[in-house]
Amino acid sequence: MKVIDWVDERLDLSGVRHFVADKGVPVHAQKIWYYLGGMTLCLFGVQVLTGILLLLYYRPSATEAYESVQFIVTQVQFGWLIRNLHSWSANLLIGLAFAHFFSVFFLKSYRKPRELTWVSGILLLFLMLGFGFSGYLLPWNELAFFATKVGTGIAGAVPLVGRFALRLLRGGDDVTGATLSRFYGLHVAVLPAITTALVALHLLFVQRQGMSVPIGVERKLKPGEHLPQMPFFPNYVLRDVLAWYVVIAVLAALAAFYPWELGTKADPFAPVPAGIRPEWYFLAMFHTLKLVPSHVLGIEGEHLGVVAFGLAAMFLVLVPFLDRRASRGEPSRLFTLVAALGLLYLVSFTIIGHYAK
Amino acid sequence: MLMSDASSAAQRGSRSSVAAGPVLARLCVLVVLLVSTHPLYAQSPPAANGCVACHSTQADSRLATPAALFTEPDVHRESGFACVDCHGGSASSSDVARAHAPAEGFKGKPAGQTVVATCARCHSDANVMRRYAPKQRVDQATEYAASVHGQQLAKGDLKVATCSSCHNAHGIRRISDAKSPVFPTNVANTCATCHTDEKRMAGYTLPGGGALPTHQLADYQKSVHYAALTKGNDPSAPTCNDCHGNHGAAPPGVGAVTNVCGTCHAVFAQKFAASVHQPIFDKGCVECHGNHAVVKPSDQMLSAAAGGACAACHTAGDASDKGTAAAVAMRTGIERLKSGIDDSGALLRRIKNAGIEVSDEQLALREAGTKLTLARTEIHGFEVGRVEAILADGMKVVEAVARAGQDGVAELRFRRRGLAVSLGAILIFVVALGLKIRQIDRRDRTRRASL
Amino acid sequence: MQEGSNAFDRRRFLDALLTVGFVSTAVAMAYPVARFLVPPASGEPPIDTVVAGRAGALRPNSAAIFKFGAAPGIVVRTADGDLRAFSAVCTHLDCTVQFKADTSELWCACHNGMYDLGGNVVSGPPPRGLQKFTVNLRGEGDDAEIVVTRT
Repeated sequence: MKVIDWVDERLDLSGVRHFVADKGVPVHAQKIWYYLGGMTLCLFGVQVLTGILLLLYYRPSATEAYESVQFIVTQVQFGWLIRNLHSWSANLLIGLAFAHFFSVFFLKSYRKPRELTWVSGILLLFLMLGFGFSGYLLPWNELAFFATKVGTGIAGAVPLVGRFALRLLRGGDDVTGATLSRFYGLHVAVLPAITTALVALHLLFVQRQGMSVPIGVERKLKPGEHLPQMPFFPNYVLRDVLAWYVVIAVLAALAAFYPWELGTKADPFAPVPAGIRPEWYFLAMFHTLKLVPSHVLGIEGEHLGVVAFGLAAMFLVLVPFLDRRASRGEPSRLFTLVAALGLLYLVSFTIIGHYAK
Repeated sequence: MLMSDASSAAQRGSRSSVAAGPVLARLCVLVVLLVSTHPLYAQSPPAANGCVACHSTQADSRLATPAALFTEPDVHRESGFACVDCHGGSASSSDVARAHAPAEGFKGKPAGQTVVATCARCHSDANVMRRYAPKQRVDQATEYAASVHGQQLAKGDLKVATCSSCHNAHGIRRISDAKSPVFPTNVANTCATCHTDEKRMAGYTLPGGGALPTHQLADYQKSVHYAALTKGNDPSAPTCNDCHGNHGAAPPGVGAVTNVCGTCHAVFAQKFAASVHQPIFDKGCVECHGNHAVVKPSDQMLSAAAGGACAACHTAGDASDKGTAAAVAMRTGIERLKSGIDDSGALLRRIKNAGIEVSDEQLALREAGTKLTLARTEIHGFEVGRVEAILADGMKVVEAVARAGQDGVAELRFRRRGLAVSLGAILIFVVALGLKIRQIDRRDRTRRASL
Repeated sequence: MQEGSNAFDRRRFLDALLTVGFVSTAVAMAYPVARFLVPPASGEPPIDTVVAGRAGALRPNSAAIFKFGAAPGIVVRTADGDLRAFSAVCTHLDCTVQFKADTSELWCACHNGMYDLGGNVVSGPPPRGLQKFTVNLRGEGDDAEIVVTRT
């Protein structure tokens, strides 16, 4: 405590102290979902740390990328561990981000006054997907190369701006070393900068507004009655830390028993390997686009599919403003249904996409 | 002179008619001018163009084509030679009879032995050749006389190839020119113009009897030599003249085949020459590898079973046949080393993919590959003991690499165990933290209860 | 419930366990990170450049095989003291070439292929010359490193 006193003498931490001492977290049956956001943040921290470590040895050029990853994994002390952690943590991070998103969606935590928290959160979800897509190419192996080719090809299917977007993403007409450079810049500089700002905002909002309570629980309260509170520090914080350690344990287990392989170095002139498909978090979208017929009412199927996904993304951002009933504190069965259908769609199409030829 | 003729004529004319004089004079001038400039009567320009100028206007292609070809890249024309240097005659005369006069040395179109004599006049004279191409040989005519072509020609057979058949007579390119018929990649096709022609080859026989075949080009195009020459960018790969001779072309002959193949494949020839097969095989290397269709050899050839090269003389499954036993022993050893190398290679690739450094082991495995190549060379001595010694060295390398590979697998397991230990530590902490939380909660409850 | 001292002891034990757990997990995380930061012995990935040895170890008219990635290379010091480096993979059937001091040539034992000290084929079956590398010296005197680069 002496250190804190030393800082307090210089920077006056009384505001912070009162905030921490008074802050409470509501206690109710659904409070388990509160921890998902923190777990996502923990994994993001792991990504930043392991990412910076990998940065010290990785070389972002088509001739050296694969070899540098090979060097990290075979020559650098514990390089295999750092690389495995980074690869697995990426997948877990996106999984947890989706879990956190769905829990908020179902519990309607996005309702007034937390609309901005939701908007920043949705944008963060898209950013995480961007991290996954850009980072996947960096080892420059066969699977990554062709998955990127397919993925950026889909970007080209956006009407009007598709061609431009494809060239912007690929750094040219084809996936080449230029694409690698671009994705590297995105992955280590652009996306982290935007994410840091948005995470700071998101956390600021959460800290200022406290935890949201589900509508059902709120409505059961009699007038003047308050929910029991758990002190934020140390009770909630310790639980949060426990959740983080559980996440890290899962991560370590995955890295130990399912190590990530190097694959074969990408050869742009080799034929596309059979059954190429993106990582699991894009599978649902990918498989949907495959199923859309090539022409619907004269419009190209792929264009229609991409536009549909774009509209879905816009809808998601605007959910708090569209859900009138929730913002009034009333049960909103329609949006619960939408959330359930969305979850069902994503899970089933991911599974189907995985097992499809 | 012409003008004075015209003017005196005009003056004579002027006595009869004063008005017609100047007109007639002008007419005469015109006629003389027209006549004197007509090509048929014009003074021909000196040197080579005389022949070409006339011949190139001929309708008959047999006369026009040589002239046209001579104006294309031609090593003789570029060195300052002209038609008359080979054909004789006079280039400066415009009159056909005078240009082609025997008195001027006109030889016409050389045929048969005359062709050789015409070319040899310069190309067998060192003093002449030294002035134009000092390094060029001057014994081609002598070689030719010793060749099958030369010997047939001496007997009066005009169907055989002479100098111009392969080198052309007009439009002769240097042999380093890729369009020359005797540029290394073109030689086979040049020989084939006659040697694939059934009608032309009818009546000729092989030295050992039997009709002269016409499928040599088709066979050669299946060979590794052809592939190396045309696709492998290896100009040292053999074509017809490398084995049969250039100008002294003839089949190598009994006993000489091994020497011929041995000019490039020296190690194999040495081993074979010391082996038991050397006095037995008439055709040396050709017995197993063929002469023109020399395809890439495979280990399948080393077998007395159907499809193997040994099966021609040795019986499979015959316990008393020492050759069969040797073939079986050598082949089994080679297959064992091959599969050992493949398995070790696969193991190294697998653990490399999993993240273990294996470049040292991959380097060592190359040594085993070298031993395999050396063993395949040693087979040509047909001594099982020597082959097995080399294969044993190779297997030692494979075993060492396999052990190193197992070390790699052990390292992977060690990593996994290390992570499992860390996992244990984390779980202990998680349990302790859980207990702590419960403790704090209980303390808070008792504190609130006592309030 | 429990006597006060028992609860206190239990709390002390739990705190101790917690501290031990926290420290050990922290060390388990910090130790690999610390080792990761230390540069590995091999320096950098052997893609384009590799250290083939020390200048002093190579006498005139001698050569040494070195590792370039997963393939062998050979660095030669000519009789004049010049340093040359080539891929030691014979262009014929991938055997490893060696240096013959008596003829100052690079020789492949498999089928008698011979290369001169410019890497060019002199005799035998190899279809092409040996791949040439660039050689530089890093440092001074006998301890200087022979740095071989793929051109």
